[in-house]
Amino acid sequence: MDNENFGLAKSFSSAPVLSISPHTNFSQKEQTDIEHELNEQVGTTGEYVSEGFCFKLAPGQDQIGFMRSLKEKAPKLTDFAKGTTTLAFEFQEGVLVAVDARATMGAFISSNNVRKVIEINDFLLGTMAGGAADCMFWEKYVAMQCRVYELRNGEKPSVAMASMMLASIMRQYRGQGLSMGTMFTGSDKTGASLYYIDNDATRVKGRLFAVGSGGTFAYGVLDTNYRYDMSLDEAVNLGIRAITSATFKDSASGGVVRIYHVTNHGKWNLIHDAIDVSELHYQFEQNKGHTGRGNEGKPNKYL
Amino acid sequence: MSGHNCVAIATDTRLSTQLMTIDTSFQRVFKVTDSCLMGVSGLGTDVQTLQLTLRSFYFSNSLMKFKLNLYRLKEGRDMKADVFSKLVATSLYEHRFGPYFVSPVIAGLDKVGENEYSPVICTYDSIGYREHNGQFEVAGTGAELLYGVCETFYKPNLEPEQLFEVISNSLLSALDRDSLSGWGAKVYLLTPTELTVRSLKTRQD
Repeated sequence: MDNENFGLAKSFSSAPVLSISPHTNFSQKEQTDIEHELNEQVGTTGEYVSEGFCFKLAPGQDQIGFMRSLKEKAPKLTDFAKGTTTLAFEFQEGVLVAVDARATMGAFISSNNVRKVIEINDFLLGTMAGGAADCMFWEKYVAMQCRVYELRNGEKPSVAMASMMLASIMRQYRGQGLSMGTMFTGSDKTGASLYYIDNDATRVKGRLFAVGSGGTFAYGVLDTNYRYDMSLDEAVNLGIRAITSATFKDSASGGVVRIYHVTNHGKWNLIHDAIDVSELHYQFEQNKGHTGRGNEGKPNKYL
Repeated sequence: MSGHNCVAIATDTRLSTQLMTIDTSFQRVFKVTDSCLMGVSGLGTDVQTLQLTLRSFYFSNSLMKFKLNLYRLKEGRDMKADVFSKLVATSLYEHRFGPYFVSPVIAGLDKVGENEYSPVICTYDSIGYREHNGQFEVAGTGAELLYGVCETFYKPNLEPEQLFEVISNSLLSALDRDSLSGWGAKVYLLTPTELTVRSLKTRQD
């Protein structure tokens, strides 16, 4: 086997599979979804046991209530990477994904250089909105499941199936405080396709999505300029434009734009790794003959 | 921030509701007298009610302008910055049980001798507790972020141009870490003879 890393990051791959999910029993027969749900249980030792994972729970009676109250008691600990603009749309040459790169904790900007597109494997991409750790962990987990499927069945899973894996997990943990809003996209035998999945276990296939606090602003630009028969260049420019507008209006989005293209032929490409949105804003405004400072038509008064 | 015979106020120019930017050229700093400036951060409507713009005709209920004019008529001279700073404190406390949602900053210069001016730098909470250490004061959403940089960059008795550099750099580095501030910045530099206003180019996200 030439690809030993299961499509996961290097740090994951050196560990044997059994240590990643200690309860995985490959000799066991395939379980149906219903059996899976029956097997899920809260252990007597305060562990949440399901799907081969063993999540430690807080001691006490009302664990879910505890997690919720934690959000009020320590907002800085439980909230990370909130406030985002991510968008993705289908067009004739595949799917275009564009994201910003800001992570905020309250009003504080914790980073302007986050990678919100998760490269799940060489044909799947997921975007990150909501809890960074939740998105990262479960999308990497889907990567592992996809690889296992490929080894068992000798062919890659479809994007529909991979997205359903993620949606099923969200269904399983519903109400437990996971926070995730992701656009799940990839390319299989049928070409590129796009799904929206969130922590309420919503899973919708669609043409055009914008997720996050800046999403509404991005929709404005996207809806006015979107055509299905765009060329790749046009699509890339539209993605950049929509993210730039959203980062201008939405204070929780900003940093740089990253653009990915999912082709119709089973893989994705990184088009732009980091373009500064502030520079883009000045550039767009100056093309209109504005200064970019938003003071057009206002008297130049200082006091 | 205060320097040697000079004071400065630096401010961003954003007005927003929660996360959404409404205006990117909002005026927050007002001239009180020829030797005193007031910057007001907080709720937009309260900022304008407190403000002292010369066009107070349009804002006839402009709180501080009224009191200043009355003082000028009674005393026949402009109010000193130090006196004004205490007037603001008592005015804010008048609204102890229904405060204006603002945190003002005052920067002024009071003449104490021939070519010798004492800087007045102070800030308030919304009900008029006056805080001053004679060096620098910060207020607004980015206040915590500003403390660190100001404490690092600030030195006493800076000359006007050095003070401009210090205050600009302090503000700009805090703006990069505060998601609710930015979208343009202005620096007001007050010396005994003149007031200089400079616009800074900032990130627009």
